[in-house]
Amino acid sequence: MKTDVAVIGGGPAGLAAALKASEQAKVMLLERENELGGILPQCIHNGFGNFIFKKMLTGPEYAHHFMGKVEKSDIDVKTETAVLEINEDKTIVATNPSDGILEIKAKAIVLAMGCRERSRAQILIPGTRPAGVYTAGTAQRLINIEGVMPGKRIVILGSGDVGLIMARRFILEGAEVEGVYEIMQKPGGLTRNVVQCLEDYGIPLLLSHTVTNIKGKKRVEAVTVAKVDKSMKPIKGTERVIPCDCLILAVGLIPENELSKQAGVVMDEKTGGPVVDEHMETSVPGIFACGNVVHVHDLVDDVTMVSEIAGEYAAKYATGEIERGKEIKVVVGDNVRYVVPQFLRSIDMDNVTFYFRVKEEDKNVKVIISESMAIFEKKERIVKPPEMVKASVPSELLKGIQNELRIDVRGKYEK
Amino acid sequence: MKSKFTCIECPLGCAITAEKKGDEIIVTGNKCNRGKDYAIRELTDPKRILTTTVFVENGIHPLLPVKSDREIPKNLIKKCIGELSKVRAKAPVKYGDVICKNVMGTGANIVSSCSMVRKNE
Amino acid sequence: MGKSMNDSRIRKKVEKIARKEGGVGIGVRVEGGIVYLDGKIDSRKDFLSLGSSIGKIKHAGGVVNNLEYPGKKKREKKQGKKEKIGEADVVIVGGGVIGCSIARELSHYDLKIILVGKAEDVATGTTKANNGMVHTGIGEKMGTLKQKLCVEGHQMYDDISKELCIPYKKCGMWIITTGDSLAHYKIPSFLANFIAKRVVPFIILRRGKKLGIPMHLVKREELLRQEPHVTEKALAAVYSPTYGITCPYLFTIALAENAIENGVDIMLNTEVVDIDVKDGSVKSVITTEGVIDTHFVVNAAGLYADEIAEMAGAREYTIHPKKGSTLLFDKEYGNYINHSMSALKFPRTEHYKGGGIMLTVDGNIQWGPTVEEVPDRDDTSVTYEEIERIFQGYSYLTPDFPSKTVIAYFAGLRASTFTEDFFIQPSKKVKGFVHVAGIQSPGLAAAPAVADMVINILKNEGLPMNEKQDFNPCRKKPVVFRELGNEEKKKIMEKNSLYGRIVCRCEQVTEGEIVDAIHAPIPALSMDAIKRRTRAGMGRCQGAFCLPRVARILARETGIPLERVVKNIEDSYLFVGKAKCLLEVGNEN
Repeated sequence: MKTDVAVIGGGPAGLAAALKASEQAKVMLLERENELGGILPQCIHNGFGNFIFKKMLTGPEYAHHFMGKVEKSDIDVKTETAVLEINEDKTIVATNPSDGILEIKAKAIVLAMGCRERSRAQILIPGTRPAGVYTAGTAQRLINIEGVMPGKRIVILGSGDVGLIMARRFILEGAEVEGVYEIMQKPGGLTRNVVQCLEDYGIPLLLSHTVTNIKGKKRVEAVTVAKVDKSMKPIKGTERVIPCDCLILAVGLIPENELSKQAGVVMDEKTGGPVVDEHMETSVPGIFACGNVVHVHDLVDDVTMVSEIAGEYAAKYATGEIERGKEIKVVVGDNVRYVVPQFLRSIDMDNVTFYFRVKEEDKNVKVIISESMAIFEKKERIVKPPEMVKASVPSELLKGIQNELRIDVRGKYEK
Repeated sequence: MKSKFTCIECPLGCAITAEKKGDEIIVTGNKCNRGKDYAIRELTDPKRILTTTVFVENGIHPLLPVKSDREIPKNLIKKCIGELSKVRAKAPVKYGDVICKNVMGTGANIVSSCSMVRKNE
Repeated sequence: MGKSMNDSRIRKKVEKIARKEGGVGIGVRVEGGIVYLDGKIDSRKDFLSLGSSIGKIKHAGGVVNNLEYPGKKKREKKQGKKEKIGEADVVIVGGGVIGCSIARELSHYDLKIILVGKAEDVATGTTKANNGMVHTGIGEKMGTLKQKLCVEGHQMYDDISKELCIPYKKCGMWIITTGDSLAHYKIPSFLANFIAKRVVPFIILRRGKKLGIPMHLVKREELLRQEPHVTEKALAAVYSPTYGITCPYLFTIALAENAIENGVDIMLNTEVVDIDVKDGSVKSVITTEGVIDTHFVVNAAGLYADEIAEMAGAREYTIHPKKGSTLLFDKEYGNYINHSMSALKFPRTEHYKGGGIMLTVDGNIQWGPTVEEVPDRDDTSVTYEEIERIFQGYSYLTPDFPSKTVIAYFAGLRASTFTEDFFIQPSKKVKGFVHVAGIQSPGLAAAPAVADMVINILKNEGLPMNEKQDFNPCRKKPVVFRELGNEEKKKIMEKNSLYGRIVCRCEQVTEGEIVDAIHAPIPALSMDAIKRRTRAGMGRCQGAFCLPRVARILARETGIPLERVVKNIEDSYLFVGKAKCLLEVGNEN
């Protein structure tokens, strides 16, 4: 089997990439579920599409928009199809119940597998292993798609967006939410979710707290929570036992890159995803990556936008249209945890948008992109680690760059 | 009576206080006018879009995601969701189909947020 | 006469220990070499230290420690049912690796065998949390029964693993001495290093030679060449190439399935509540499901072996559970080491080989297990302190290992007696009652030899045993999708397209394999049972992705609503009800 572009993953990233690529090339879209949309169908709340559609859509609606377009396109959609391996020559081995084993030779590949949730083991919660401990995304699927309730009396650990949204969802489905516990000193999710999900329903948010024990044989019977000190270690004597039958873990997302690693792409330790250039092309020529596989986004709109770039250039690569210039590294400077893209190669688009996260909250800052001198500056009233920062830089400012680009976020502009 | 809000108009998240004094509403803590508008809205007539699921018969999934086609008073959200738990939609359902008209007299219709085909179709 | 002289000698020693260790006033009785302790003491600590000290007395055959201390818990007794549900030549109590090994071995003979297990599946107790090491016997105390059976059992693994189609690899093992091996002793470091490098390895080698275990000395440079991530502090190593690994629960399941194929009746969810003895002989076993008439009971009840023995009036030991916790790491770093390894540290904790960095048959690395006395026989929780202890203890050997890649941790309980050796013998009190107790490490390696020994005991006890003509030692291997080549995958998919649908993406488990497990000779009817057979949910996401999918398949295949699916034991429901079940209005419907 042959195709120009093979897109792996039919969530928002894969959908956008496939649609864009299909404007210029033959596209095959591989999705392991029996329907497209990735995580969107289970995100029944609204808040999607603010930038792209200028509307507050629900997840299923946002997905519907793209799925309709895919239906009308000539994209070869293969659902229930799991990719088993990707080889460096861009051969994909996949399996599904109707075709058996598929071997697909692609000219270009777009990696759009998304991310997965961190589990109990990654945060080392001691205790027993009863039924009733779920990650927030799993709980979301259970309640909204499978139609079962994971618990009646809920404790949520982690205040990332999924955790906050699930707190509200549990309340609306008639469960009690004992509280949302966050190990950091600040909430992990967007402010609007803290307000609309917790404050609206009077759900307590306890910062600098964590779960230190899980009790129960058959089902969860109680969890112990405790305050943590500045190094995030539980403080003795602050433990409280909270009777509950369900513990929901919203303790972070990890880009899912087993296939990427197999394909031999270079990874960025800080993002957990492949390093990419401004076309979203990885270190392996012709293998592109987009969406949460590259780094975990806050907003699906951003995923769609970068994935369209990935799709467009994957198609261009497949049809032999990419010209590359000198490779320019983008490095992180003051108060920047990571930046995507990690390098530039062509500078052939109108703008290059840099996506980055800060290490610490700061107010009235400047985002400065510089070679030896600043070439671009932008003011931000506030930057917070949970909220991704964007800087769109016109390409004409980037032309002629010879060395590394550096990105800094500095409070009160200083010389 | 003073009411406190966290503004969600931008990531700044201002802590706003709004107080009704006669016909006037006094807003403090906001850094911009959007914050003032937000606080007044929240104080006088807080509304939200309702999103939930309803049971669907013969669908590929047991539940259908739905939403209100306009905002409804915040304090009615839970009641409406309770009311909607009695509803049984029937597959096939099309995106935007009205599942429940004028839910609890709010004037909002409940519409499907996705299409759902029948089982084994 | 000799016997009672022995008893009175033991009694004197017990009384001496009791005087020394604060057990003044306790009741001591010695009968046939078995020490019975009664009375009151201050704490569990005393209970354990007295038991252990007395267990060390030479010729003490067993310690029944009935000492009471404040806070000692008693287990609730379950009610049995009176109706007769079966008859057997032999009833085996316990569905762990030992009970199932014995069942399979007994199924060679023309006998009616019933195995009863109180849990919902086989291999749910001590066996489940075993780390899979098939020890050679080198780590055991010389002259013990467990060492003998370990050496014998280990040698039987080549054949049995082939017959049963279970994973078994001779992964090899490094026994490493380091600059810290003798740090406890205040001796000059040059001397400590000399002993660690030149003396200790030769002692081990000599032991190996005596036991017929192939081993050789490896110099520090060679060790570090072969295992580049091992600590620079390593001084020398003894390499044991025949050290093996298997999967303890797959092995047990395979034994049980093969036993069933050969006519054994396995009754799960069936707890023994009493044993009827008449005129000094076993008559019947009373369970929560009914009565089984039999003249022979093999007690392989693990942590509860003493309670089962008590029911027959044949208590000759007390079980004191020792917890062992293990951390399991992401497969991505499974190649960090090439062989299992353990660092020697002196003095060694009694009856504990020290754990180590171990490979698994599935390609993960594991650290552990720890050892800790616990009062509860079902306390398999892992504590914060244990996790810390594992990190501190085992990061020593491969200091640069990315230890943040833990994907799971678990604990199991060792069914130790106070004499700390296997207790395999016919009861001295009740005819037809055979003890197979005190089986802790290396019980997994020894299991095939334990089964052989029990067969001989039963023969000697007068059970007529005629070999069956049609015994089939081989079990058909279940499909394991991820192990197949692409051509083989295509072939099985032609037969059943469900092998083409991946359900667990971390471990590449297909729907076909899950359906097979649900309909296997021992049906996998819980999430954990499916997990043990297929590995669905055992990967890096720990089921976050596949749990809803596996639950749905289980519900569909068994015809139950999704909300009735259980994690493992009865009532361990995954969900509390259907969506909307907690809404007031929803409940009216």
